[in-house]
Amino acid sequence: MSTWLAIVGVAAATFLLRASFILFVDPHKFPRAFRRALLFVPPAVLAAIVAPGLAMPHGALELTLGNARLVAGIVTVAVASRVRHPLVAIAVGMPSLWLLQWLMG
Amino acid sequence: MLVGTMPFGLVVGVAGPASGLTAAQSMALSVLSFSGIAQLIVCQLLAVGSPPLVTVLAGSVVSLRFVMYSAAVSPHIAHLDRRMRALIAFLMVDQSFAMTTRHFGAPGDRTNREWHTLGACTTFYVSWQLSVAVGIAVGAQVPASWSLDFAVVLTFISLLVPVLRKRADLAAALVACAVALAAAGLPYRLSLVVASIAGIGAGVAFEAWRKS
Repeated sequence: MSTWLAIVGVAAATFLLRASFILFVDPHKFPRAFRRALLFVPPAVLAAIVAPGLAMPHGALELTLGNARLVAGIVTVAVASRVRHPLVAIAVGMPSLWLLQWLMG
Repeated sequence: MLVGTMPFGLVVGVAGPASGLTAAQSMALSVLSFSGIAQLIVCQLLAVGSPPLVTVLAGSVVSLRFVMYSAAVSPHIAHLDRRMRALIAFLMVDQSFAMTTRHFGAPGDRTNREWHTLGACTTFYVSWQLSVAVGIAVGAQVPASWSLDFAVVLTFISLLVPVLRKRADLAAALVACAVALAAAGLPYRLSLVVASIAGIGAGVAFEAWRKS
């Protein structure tokens, strides 16, 4: 039941955020500072999601070369910042992880 | 645009049942919220037993960028009736927002332009739902040794790297990383919300400092 509640709640929230300025508020009446802050939402949110996925794969901080996900992730960031293709991260990251896991036995 | 998104849809589809959602719940989440990032975050939070309120809060924080898109698209479609605007708002995602702005911003006759946009957005919506459905269907068959959950992190990396354009973006990302790791002990992955807000603050502060 609470799962359904969360699903409906998130659906309502994503719609209201999309509709905010299109249906409800005149964007010209909104403070500039707020719109400037919104520009930093993508880098901040995405980094906050990526960091634990790489640095704490089993729930605790593992900033070592023995952490295959961290190493594979750094390789992926390096390659993706040079090659701009939507599939490059998966194409580089998954084989890197498999290779590292195989090497580390 | 479609080709680049299909693997993301697959990954999002796989994440549903892997997080303990039923196939119906995973599909409903996708059909109603139509946002890969929000869908993934909801799956992750429900998997660790977060209450609905916390899940909705985190889903809203990661969807704040829609407010930015909404403000950008709004002046271009202000002439349309309310129902049409609601429909365009519902179908607006990262991939279609730039296209919609360009399309409506172009010079020339503006009548019936909304139908072209609706057509493109609907095509995208349907192909997204199809790839999520395939992900839900095949998800259970993928062995754990493939570490497919890592594909989720990789997908976020592929979204993150292109938005790091200025130094202020980098500052926002680095602070968000550090806070996310330092605050990882907070319950229900509230660290995501805290780190996002800290990162946004860092970006704003960095920009203000550079200009002063």
